[in-house]
Amino acid sequence: MKPLIQLSHLSKHYKGFSAVEDVSLEIEKGEIYGFIGLNGSGKTTTIKMLLGMIRPSNGACYIQGQKIGLANYSLWAKVGSLVETPYAYSELTVKENLEIFRRLRRVSDPAAVQTVMDQLKLTKYADKKAGKLSLGNTQRLGIAKALLHKPEILILDEPSNGLDPTGIVEVRELFRYLAYELGVTIFMSSHLLGEVAKIATKIGVIHHGQLLQEIRTEQFKDLLNKRLVVDAKEKEKAMAALNHAGYQAIFNATGRIETITEHAVRHPDEISRYLVSEGFPPTHLAVEEEELESYFLRIITQ
Amino acid sequence: MTFFTATHMELLKIRKSKMIWITLAVFTMAPLMAGFFIFVLKNPELAESSGLIGDKAQIFGVADWPAYLSMLAQIIAVGGILVFGFVTSWVFGREYADRTIKDLLTLPSHRMVIILAKFLAVLFTNFLLSVYVILLGVAIGLVIQLPRLSYEVAMEGGFILLVTTILTLALSTLPAFLACYGRGYLAPIGFILFMVVLAQIIAAAGHGEYFPWAVPAIFSGIAGTGPALEIGSFLLVFLIGIVGLGATVSWWMYADQH
Repeated sequence: MKPLIQLSHLSKHYKGFSAVEDVSLEIEKGEIYGFIGLNGSGKTTTIKMLLGMIRPSNGACYIQGQKIGLANYSLWAKVGSLVETPYAYSELTVKENLEIFRRLRRVSDPAAVQTVMDQLKLTKYADKKAGKLSLGNTQRLGIAKALLHKPEILILDEPSNGLDPTGIVEVRELFRYLAYELGVTIFMSSHLLGEVAKIATKIGVIHHGQLLQEIRTEQFKDLLNKRLVVDAKEKEKAMAALNHAGYQAIFNATGRIETITEHAVRHPDEISRYLVSEGFPPTHLAVEEEELESYFLRIITQ
Repeated sequence: MTFFTATHMELLKIRKSKMIWITLAVFTMAPLMAGFFIFVLKNPELAESSGLIGDKAQIFGVADWPAYLSMLAQIIAVGGILVFGFVTSWVFGREYADRTIKDLLTLPSHRMVIILAKFLAVLFTNFLLSVYVILLGVAIGLVIQLPRLSYEVAMEGGFILLVTTILTLALSTLPAFLACYGRGYLAPIGFILFMVVLAQIIAAAGHGEYFPWAVPAIFSGIAGTGPALEIGSFLLVFLIGIVGLGATVSWWMYADQH
């Protein structure tokens, strides 16, 4: 099966600076692809090339097998997009903004505006001027514009920006519904790995313009560092006993004993038994998993 | 998206903006001022008692319809470069300043449709502004009851007004390009102001016919004589119009849109 979105050896160079370098990736139908990177890592430049706003220095982008270019403008009928912080015509109301894009996109159903306002909980702001909206509602309006024509593909740059925690959850659920129930393919960028990991089926990490790693979400568990954290009344002695047994224990930042030895992480029951037999019964014993953000930082600093 | 829909949406954006109503209010001042001066000129006793205003009003010569229509044409020639240029700068520059350009670039239409719709909306709006100034001016002239109104005077005055409007409109395409290139309003507005000042200097030096931004004013009779320009001057104005149009189209089609 042909990928729905394909970036092939994509590069963008400016004078003495490489914003994106040889990025290749493929996204299948119905996938949610999380494109993760720090600010300035090349996420937005990549998205702008995918949307035909910037010409690549090398390589090409394809949607449904068709190369992105000026002549293939009909492709955009199937694509909804949101690039950087969304903006709207500030002097027009929410409804007027959406109505303009309904007509420009030739969506024949006049109810489409109401439907998308209901979907994004914008109905009560329908007659409010876009310039008077909060950042969160401006973001909702941006997403509403992207969804107005029921696209098969969504390309979103930082779609959770400015949303409050409830909004983040609502939008996450909406994307899940679109991808899993309606088969919409979503390519979304973010600098928050934890947020993207909750819905993405695949994640690509970009840093200094290069795609460092692609991970399927189900692989994550295996990649995250794990550690066994132990506490005891006689900490010094308990740690000495663990080190004597070859577990390379140390005190962590919270003052508890910590070891990353694979055997200890896989068999915490044996560690418990061992400490009891040595006369230092544990008061706390837990296998802790590395935070996603910490994993992300580890990957990009390697 | 049809060209008609795109133009309709551009006109809607203009109609809903504060910009057009402020522009209209400012442009309204011009025929009111012209009417006031011609009224002072028509009433010598008022001119004597009004001192400086009376002296200034003498510049316009006689208080009749030919002089008054020429004055309206001068308003369009000079004021139009500023006002039409401002409208054009706003229509193109606001998409960059408000960052809404990204939504337009991902519409399932050829970019040419959007650009030409914008130009048509600008042309239509500026033409309406010109018609408004002329109609308001004529209404003021009728209220003042200026002498020498005849079919010939109306036709000649109408012709000068129409040609002056077209020449001024042609000069408003270059600000569109500068709005895109500068990604906002500042570059084109700065350019327009600079061109108006430069036009005064070059025209005063006697070379205005070679400087496109001075041509509409010279044609309107600002120098005190009737239209006495060679065809080359008109071609120069239309060349600038075509260059502005071509540059704007090229920018939308081929430049990276950050």
